[in-house]
Amino acid sequence: MTQTVIEVSGLKKQYRSAVGRSRITALDGIDFTVREGELFGLLGPNGAGKTTAVKILLDLTRPTAGEARINGLSAGNPESRRRVGYLPEGHKIPGYLTARQALGIFGKMSGLDDVTIKRRSLELLEKLRIAQWIDVRVKKYSKGMTQRLGLAIALLHSPHVLLLDEPTDGVDPVGRREIRDILQAEAAANGTAVLLNSHLLSEIELTCNHVAVLRNGKVAAAGSIEELTRRAAKYKMVPAAPVDDALVASFRESGAGVERVNGHVLLTVDDVTHLNALVDKLRAGGGLLTELSPVRSTLEDVFVDLVRAVDPGAQQSEGALL
Amino acid sequence: MKVLMANIEDVMREAAARWTLVAYFFLSTIFIIIFASAINLDIVDGALAGAKLFGKQVEMNSSISIEKLVMGFESGFSGVLYVLCTFLAIFATAHLVPRMQEKGTIDLYLSRPVSRVKLILSRYVAGLILAGSNVLYLIGSIWMIVAWKTHVFHPRFFLAGVVILFLIATLLAFAFLIGVITSSTAVSIMATYGVFFFGVMLAGHARIEAALSKEWQAFAIKMLYWIMPKTAELATAVVAYVAGGEIHNEMLTITPAPFVSTAVFGLVCLVLASWLFQRKEF
Repeated sequence: MTQTVIEVSGLKKQYRSAVGRSRITALDGIDFTVREGELFGLLGPNGAGKTTAVKILLDLTRPTAGEARINGLSAGNPESRRRVGYLPEGHKIPGYLTARQALGIFGKMSGLDDVTIKRRSLELLEKLRIAQWIDVRVKKYSKGMTQRLGLAIALLHSPHVLLLDEPTDGVDPVGRREIRDILQAEAAANGTAVLLNSHLLSEIELTCNHVAVLRNGKVAAAGSIEELTRRAAKYKMVPAAPVDDALVASFRESGAGVERVNGHVLLTVDDVTHLNALVDKLRAGGGLLTELSPVRSTLEDVFVDLVRAVDPGAQQSEGALL
Repeated sequence: MKVLMANIEDVMREAAARWTLVAYFFLSTIFIIIFASAINLDIVDGALAGAKLFGKQVEMNSSISIEKLVMGFESGFSGVLYVLCTFLAIFATAHLVPRMQEKGTIDLYLSRPVSRVKLILSRYVAGLILAGSNVLYLIGSIWMIVAWKTHVFHPRFFLAGVVILFLIATLLAFAFLIGVITSSTAVSIMATYGVFFFGVMLAGHARIEAALSKEWQAFAIKMLYWIMPKTAELATAVVAYVAGGEIHNEMLTITPAPFVSTAVFGLVCLVLASWLFQRKEF
């Protein structure tokens, strides 16, 4: 039984506007949990509240209401960060430090001894392929290298929870793959829970197994990638011979959505019974079926649908926890 | 302890990398060199036979012993060091909080398992160590030059360093408070220098009060005098402590009050800075 390491419940955050007394709601009562070994993606358009949620988890900002806990401790307790690694977006590791010095200073602040810092620094910089830059000042680093060093700092104290904000920003494709592999290995081998905050949906899709989509400060959808991307009500039907217009019309009469695409038919049905009724119609007309499969949308499709939806309930996909 | 060590290392490395440390000690060294080359004393059999300042002969009263001359010189000179050390220290350390509070940097510090109060106090101590090392360097060097030229060892000179460091600690607490509020190094420096001069001005509070027409104005000035650090009185204390009662002047009479009220000011600033930093949202 895996343990819950991040718990967010009823989290609200309102900011006061600089002028006047109006309040801006960044988070409007969100709930989610992340279990150990889970790779959890936090998605949402700009201003959806993703960064605010992460900042509350790190006590960089305080909630207006609700609670955020890490490893069972309130986010306000510094001890909750003992086993937390964080890579902020647009982080600025002091440019006057070398990688070795930066890892030394932040390692000490995390309570590590010199021997462990030295061992882990070399190990991580090797893994992230910047070991040869260990004694070069950070100001000489490229964006991708700075990002790798930031990840090394986040991983230095072998955290139980990793909070990453755009971790592959500025990193080349090979580097992205390597970072993805490192995160998945950390989750699998050490049970590290990873909370990934990114705009790169393909990256989230490849890395994470669970996601929550934030919109206007609320969780618009949450669940496994499998659940969110599977659209049980949409099927691809490939008949042996092209379906005629009469059959398409009869499908439509039954209430199904029909799209003809390159010789196959995309059907939108109410449920499995409806689908079977359409298959029966095809067979009754002498038609044969060569393929029938559910259509899986990409995470990007789900995201765009959710973000565009006027009513949060309108785009609710089956299996999603709203 | 690890947090403190990490902050000391960070502050020293930053000071070195940004040339603050080099400039800080370079300016101090120039001052020391000028001082060493400006004074030329001619000591014969333990007595002062002649003295030159910047190459010019100085008229000497033969009745003055070399010990008294050194004591008089060091006590007077400690007043110069009081201003020099304080200004250099604030200039070299006022950025410590604003730089840490920069977006993208503060997240790295605050995501550690360290309370914010501990973090800001560690940085404060690191700043004091940086300033203290310069005070020690300046006073120690001047003391050695004087000892080398006169063969008179006058340890009371180091008391000046203690008072100077006390004032730096107070003003640095104020600079930290302004840094937490404004996140601006320039404002921190200007405000701290302002407090220094305002403190000097308020030393004449009795005369200012007498010149004011309204009672509440006089009361406000008196209140301000007791609130602000006593920069003028502490300068007098530096001279008096180094002289060690050898100079009989009413102006150099020292009471504990300036120390107590200055310490209270510094302590309140430090507590306020820690409290605001603890509450601040990033």
